Amino acid sequence: MLRLTACASGAKTGSNAATSWGGEMRKLTFLALTGLLAAGCAAGPEARDPYEATNRTIFDFNLTADRLALRPTAEHYNATVPEWARDGVHNALDTWQQPVVFVNDVLQGAPSRAKETALRFLTNTTLGVGGLVDVASRIGIAGHDEDFGQTLAVWGAPEGPYLMLPLLGPSSPRDAAGLGVDIALDPTNYIRVKRHVFWWGVHFYGTVLDARSRNIDALDGIERDSLDFYATVRSLYWQHRASEIRNGMPEPAEPSVTE
Amino acid sequence: MQGMIVIHKSFIASFAVVATLVLSLGLFARPAFAAVPAEQYITDNIQKGLTILNNTQLSKEQRKTEFQGFLLGVTDINLIARYTLGQYRRSAAPEDLTAFDAAFKDYAMAVYQSYFSKYSGQALKVTGSYTLGADETVVKAVTVDPKKPGAKPFEVNFRVLSTGSRQVVVDFSVEGVWIRELERNDFTSYLGQHNGDVKALITMLKAKAAQSK
Repeated sequence: MLRLTACASGAKTGSNAATSWGGEMRKLTFLALTGLLAAGCAAGPEARDPYEATNRTIFDFNLTADRLALRPTAEHYNATVPEWARDGVHNALDTWQQPVVFVNDVLQGAPSRAKETALRFLTNTTLGVGGLVDVASRIGIAGHDEDFGQTLAVWGAPEGPYLMLPLLGPSSPRDAAGLGVDIALDPTNYIRVKRHVFWWGVHFYGTVLDARSRNIDALDGIERDSLDFYATVRSLYWQHRASEIRNGMPEPAEPSVTE
Repeated sequence: MQGMIVIHKSFIASFAVVATLVLSLGLFARPAFAAVPAEQYITDNIQKGLTILNNTQLSKEQRKTEFQGFLLGVTDINLIARYTLGQYRRSAAPEDLTAFDAAFKDYAMAVYQSYFSKYSGQALKVTGSYTLGADETVVKAVTVDPKKPGAKPFEVNFRVLSTGSRQVVVDFSVEGVWIRELERNDFTSYLGQHNGDVKALITMLKAKAAQSK
């Protein structure tokens, strides 16, 4: 049962102890990776998506909401705002996400990544005019993404079943919990000037719009080429998430010839 | 200068990957700078592919046809096809499998061709590799957009199978998402919703291929 869960979720096995970071976490992660490499992964999509019927209904709702509201807004945004301005918005959003990334780097016991994040934040807020210009990338501090869902995975929390959340899209119990914590960590929650403005809402809406405006063509292509768009999105989410959690490290080998 | 930093950092990263494999699999660590045949294979073929895509002397249709011929030459399309059927491969009738192979080939060529042609203006730089078992290597590459040098590069990986003296690509990934896995999830889910009817799958693949042309 534990193996199936670990296999299906791609999560790290090992103890639940989150009492120490650093060396302990690295050891657990290394053991878990070894375990995954040795065990392989045999659980199919059905086992990981027990609420598929409900998820499909919510997915259809999300697609409708996208077609009626989000996509037209993103297309209008692309058409009316010049590219340099949209890049500025994207850079600013990315810069102001760095504090959350930093906290998660620390929680995962990754000091060198935390240092890179801190450097990136400092460089872009000072030399990058408050984050509008991505100076850090130009000088080789490419940066990375981290969130509390990934931190929970590193700490050994199982992923849980696939969840299609209304409006928010593909998720899991672990990632949904992680999102809650990241929202609490978000510094825009604590802006004290112009308190009638819902700053966190601006940040969240901006992030969603920015992302949607950048993936219109790619998602169109994926939808056009899919036979079952729901299943394709689900696989995309699982694979991308697993890769993020591994920080891009190699995944367990699967045979090239089918079973 | 920035390109050198990216490649340098990627070499450090890929060396870390190899070192981890040594610890976990007990293999000898391969120095990051040794000439790996799979990496050379990918480097050479990226060049060939981009040359075809950027050949302005050919018409759009000719470029498409030539690129598809090129893709067929560097991939083992039947191996990919069989993988995407998942557990339905065992229960399918032989004539259905043959028809599926042909339909998948047309579908994959149309899809991969339209995908790669979007990146014809960019460069793909091989940054390293790691082994997956005795005869498979994953070659890592990053996209480099000359028009946007500050943009975050994304990682495109190729899974290369070596059979004797021949090498073929059996999968590729973008930012950790492998296309073969994506297709398998897609097709097996479709089959699951249609009582395992491979003929229905074949009809859909033909329709999708026609749509992408």
